[in-house]
Amino acid sequence: MSTLNYSKTRQAARWFDVRRRKAGMWAYALNRITGIGLVVYLYLHLGVLSMLIQGQSAWDAFVGLARSPFYLALDVILLAGILIHGLNGLRLAVTGFGFSAGAQKALFTILMISGGIILIAAALKIFQI
Amino acid sequence: MLTVPVEIFRFKPGQAQRYDTFTVEIAETAHVIDVIDTVWAKHDPTLTFRRACHHSSCGSCAVRINGAEKLPCIVRLTDVWNGRNPIRIEPLRNFPVVSDLLVEVGDFFERMSAASMTITCEAEGFLPLTVDTFAVAGVLPKTVELPDNLSRFNRFEQCIECGICMSACPTMATDNKFIGPAGLAAIYQARHKTDDPTRVKHLLGLADGEHGVWRCHSAFECTEACPQAVDPASKIMALRRELALRRLRKMFGLRI
Ligand code: SF4
Ligand code: FES
Repeated sequence: MSTLNYSKTRQAARWFDVRRRKAGMWAYALNRITGIGLVVYLYLHLGVLSMLIQGQSAWDAFVGLARSPFYLALDVILLAGILIHGLNGLRLAVTGFGFSAGAQKALFTILMISGGIILIAAALKIFQI
Repeated sequence: MLTVPVEIFRFKPGQAQRYDTFTVEIAETAHVIDVIDTVWAKHDPTLTFRRACHHSSCGSCAVRINGAEKLPCIVRLTDVWNGRNPIRIEPLRNFPVVSDLLVEVGDFFERMSAASMTITCEAEGFLPLTVDTFAVAGVLPKTVELPDNLSRFNRFEQCIECGICMSACPTMATDNKFIGPAGLAAIYQARHKTDDPTRVKHLLGLADGEHGVWRCHSAFECTEACPQAVDPASKIMALRRELALRRLRKMFGLRI
């Protein structure tokens, strides 16, 4: 019987399809997006650190650039990713072992609001540098 | 009467998939299954879909209505139609589409059977013999002998095997061997009905396997979408807790 099956890529795209979905699915998609973002950042970070090999002047030039508002905004985005991924990770660790699975939505809301507050405070501090 | 536009997913083997739009005249009190029935009866008899009980018992009619998995036999038309845009009706996700709204569920049922989910609801073994005995205070319902073959027709409480949770699960989209929310909820249910060590070992072994509970990445969509309040996500998490605790005990040389 010939049936309609979708490609693996199309199926994988469903990880990010939050249309008509609830908080748990938003958390699921956000965790994947931030997870991929953090892995990309890790490699960028290693690349940047490798500038140290080129001596102090190359590093100083980069540090000067890193203090520009554009780079500071990127720092805030990075921190947002870390907060979303880390705090959601806590929620998953708790619910994933059968504790408060019924409260997962409330946990998500509380943790994301806390993350938002931390992010605002940190952003203010970052832009004071 | 309402005049309702409805957009239905179409696929026939050997043909490209498409959406067909129909305009249906239907009573305001209708349910979405009536809309599908009307399209079939008055507009296009080649439309393929499944339904039987019309009251959320058989689980056969499950589809996606405006993107969300539902049983159209219990969804009122006026709850999903905004009065303007067509209602979009599509087959469940994560199942091969056989024709139009009809998906191949054989694999899903086999998975449930492989987990030996032929479980009879406990209450069915304690039926009152007559209304009189039931009505007299102090007279407990009597146990009746279950026909030998009854369990073949009963799976487990509440779950109607509609496949909605399998369609809503994002993990299922990329691992078609994942036992899935319904199967794991059934394993949980079966596990809590037995103390027989061999059976417990078998059931926990299934849950602990490569395509078992650890595949779940906690989107909780199965629980959100399930029309029968089976709450598969909590059952999956409870199985994980039991497996993790058993492993911990084993690690410290304690009795499991
Ligand atoms: S667990 Fe709920 S959604 Fe899944 S098959 Fe059973 S009734 Fe349907
Ligand atoms: S027709 Fe049986 S559940 Fe909808």
